[in-house]
Amino acid sequence: MTISIWRYSHLTLAISSSIFILLAALTGIILAFEPISNKLTPYAIQDVNTLSLSKTIENLKAEYNEVVHIERDKNNYIIASVITKENKSETFYINPFTAKKVGNIIEKRAIFKFATNLHRSLFLKSTGRIIIGFVSFLLFLIAITGVLLIIKRQGGSNRYFSKIIKDNYASYYHVIIGRYALIPIIIVTLSGVYLSLEKFSLLPSNKNVHVLVKNSNLKKIDVSTFKTLTLGDIQYIEFPFSDADDDYFVLKLNNKELHISQYNKEIVSEKKDNLFALASSWSMTLHTGQGSILWSLVLLLTSICILFFMYSGFAITLNRRKNNTKIKNKFSKDAAEYIILVGSETGATFGYAKLLYKALIKEEKTVFISELNKYSNYKKAKHLVVLTSTYGEGEAPANAKHFEKLVNTIPQQKTINYSVVGFGSLAYKGFCKYAIVIDSILQLHQKFKPNIPLHKINNQSFIAFNNWLTSWSENKDIKLQIKNPNTVTNSKKSKLFKVINRSKINADNSFLIELEPTQKTKFISGDLLSVTPKNDPVERLYSIAELNNNIILSIKKHEFGICSNYFNKLKKNDMILAEIKQNKDFYFPTNTKEVVMISNGTGIAPFLGMINNENLKPVKSYLFWGGRTKDAYKTYSDSIDKAFYNKTLSGLYISFSNEESQKKYVQNSILEKIDLISRVLKNDGVIMICGSIAMKNGVMKTLENISRSTLNTPLNMNQIKTDCY
Amino acid sequence: MTNTLILKMIPTITIAIFIFFGFKNPSIKTSSYKCMIQMMNYSGEGAYISISLLNPEGVYEKTLFVQGDDDEWYSDITEWWKFHGKVRADIDAITGATIGGGERTVSIIEIDDDKINAGYKIRFESAVEDQAYYKDDVEFKLTSASVNSKVEGHGFVRYVRMMPQ
Repeated sequence: MTISIWRYSHLTLAISSSIFILLAALTGIILAFEPISNKLTPYAIQDVNTLSLSKTIENLKAEYNEVVHIERDKNNYIIASVITKENKSETFYINPFTAKKVGNIIEKRAIFKFATNLHRSLFLKSTGRIIIGFVSFLLFLIAITGVLLIIKRQGGSNRYFSKIIKDNYASYYHVIIGRYALIPIIIVTLSGVYLSLEKFSLLPSNKNVHVLVKNSNLKKIDVSTFKTLTLGDIQYIEFPFSDADDDYFVLKLNNKELHISQYNKEIVSEKKDNLFALASSWSMTLHTGQGSILWSLVLLLTSICILFFMYSGFAITLNRRKNNTKIKNKFSKDAAEYIILVGSETGATFGYAKLLYKALIKEEKTVFISELNKYSNYKKAKHLVVLTSTYGEGEAPANAKHFEKLVNTIPQQKTINYSVVGFGSLAYKGFCKYAIVIDSILQLHQKFKPNIPLHKINNQSFIAFNNWLTSWSENKDIKLQIKNPNTVTNSKKSKLFKVINRSKINADNSFLIELEPTQKTKFISGDLLSVTPKNDPVERLYSIAELNNNIILSIKKHEFGICSNYFNKLKKNDMILAEIKQNKDFYFPTNTKEVVMISNGTGIAPFLGMINNENLKPVKSYLFWGGRTKDAYKTYSDSIDKAFYNKTLSGLYISFSNEESQKKYVQNSILEKIDLISRVLKNDGVIMICGSIAMKNGVMKTLENISRSTLNTPLNMNQIKTDCY
Repeated sequence: MTNTLILKMIPTITIAIFIFFGFKNPSIKTSSYKCMIQMMNYSGEGAYISISLLNPEGVYEKTLFVQGDDDEWYSDITEWWKFHGKVRADIDAITGATIGGGERTVSIIEIDDDKINAGYKIRFESAVEDQAYYKDDVEFKLTSASVNSKVEGHGFVRYVRMMPQ
């Protein structure tokens, strides 16, 4: 599995520190409430910051025997240490206007004591502090690698905040929450690291010393120091211990400490805070949220986000694990006839590569599977399949970066047929762009011959991959079968359906079957019904028509088809077990004016539902259908007549390929209606195709020709929806 | 018969003992002293400090003050705890908060006058969680000169200053 170094470090760091981060985040959530609950106590005094220091001292001296210390804490509460008239030394919150006590110093609650201890030292004293400090640093690194990953993913730092493309729940929210939460996480971790370092005396302390103030000007200005200063200006003031000359007032302002003579209130000396003192004070405030409910809430959210990141991060990892990419080759590269090369950033594409590999092995073919970066010369190779995703906006994924160089330097003895399959998402600008690059590289290469055209797959669609597989294997005259890896035959999801009705087998060997769900089930025309026969683990998918809340399936009986024969044997009131699969890519579009539906054989099924849906009436629809015999049409005529009668269908164009009077394919009737098709394409209408792959290929060619000849543009694939088999 | 008589007398005897020994001799005067502890600039948790009175033999006689009000940490002040842990005298009225590095605190302690100039000593023990314990951070003889002086500490305490009130 090749993943970039940043993603690898991001994950390794996260896994190695996960337990500690979990503990820290959980206790962090609890601790976030401490400053909030402290702030909600009623000790705040209005306008306290405006009261002058001299007035405060005067008030206190009148009320108590002696004043030792006055402090303004982070909550902006005023704390006084005094010796009371009863000669007791006490410390409490005061109202400086009256000098009266307003409350006892807030005692740390047991839950906060417990959480604090766990949060900073895991009850392991110094050892624990070292661990937590280190983990905090790791989390900082995780955040930094996270920022880099987001920048890479978004395609540049200037697009850090631009739109994120949603592909998967866990990774989408990991990124979308991540890019905002990373900022407070960096603040929290850095301040945490700083506090740890400080506790272990690893940082230089404030080496600034008191400097005697001799400047007489300065002295004069500050004669009335206590009158000009207000409580808002100070952090604390210590009163002289005795009447001795060298006992001073110690006055701590926000950026310096002053010694002030107790007789004339002149500044004797001053000591400036250095950068470390400032950093220390900021770290404490930012890490604990003291004094600010708002910041405490930010810290709370940050802790919750960290928990979410742990969950989503591991979900992403497990998801990738599922697409495990360990390659075990049965044949060596020089013995294999089929070569599969994979380009993948996250490993997802490997899943399909392995399906193909297994299917070929089952057919007793010699196959060799590898990464694009390990391109080599292959002595016996006849067929090359390249499966590749695209990274960013058309870059090579991590394990394909060297392919371009290698393919032009390593010679091949034999001519090899190749087919390129691109994986990507239509939501990105450069959909399958790297696959296009590879396709063009191979086209220019003398030893490679194109086999079937480049195939693009949106959102890892199994149906689309299966389509490619069918055309590729048909081309080689082998029959390959693969099973959708994402379908865990889950009996929980499977539901019982009751057979309500079925039609006779027509001359085309096909019939309709109507099923009623026995429990409440949601589905609409275009969804798929997955049926897995008992004696065969491979699921079969049938397109659904929804009519009066029942399911209509159109089934063609094959002589040896396990599933079609199973259906054929069903009688009225029989029960079957099946599962509904959403197929949003093939829903009837409602944001357009006209829709053309093209089908052959049993491919008409979903359209039978769509043309009879009254809700879809505002969109004009035209139906093309091709069958072998007129008799086959009778099976569907009731539904189609009803649609005409209700005016939900605007046009019907039928062709028969096996009648004496007519030998015509769907393509032919499309060509006859060239004006209609051209108009629909021009007006952003949608063309839906359902039926066999062969029909689809023929129809696509016809549509392409129509588009080029009448509109002078290549066919816009966004206007085409297909569901073919 | 004699046994029951003794049993009956137990309450009377107890009360008698209390009357004789339970109250302080009012003739001994007590003085208050202002006592300031100035801490070193260490980093870490706030220090627990016990201030005790030792008799001339160096044996604990009385707890004068305790800085630090969470008794779960008292055992960190090892020597003092050997004394106080057994007696568990009520010290609620003479406890204050812990003192952090660089901080100072002023408390009022009361000492009987007959302990001054009589060979009695005052001892300041300090302990900081995860760090160290100093048995005699500050210790000096109580004399009329020393109760109005400044004494340097050896551990977390930079100095102690005392003065009569």
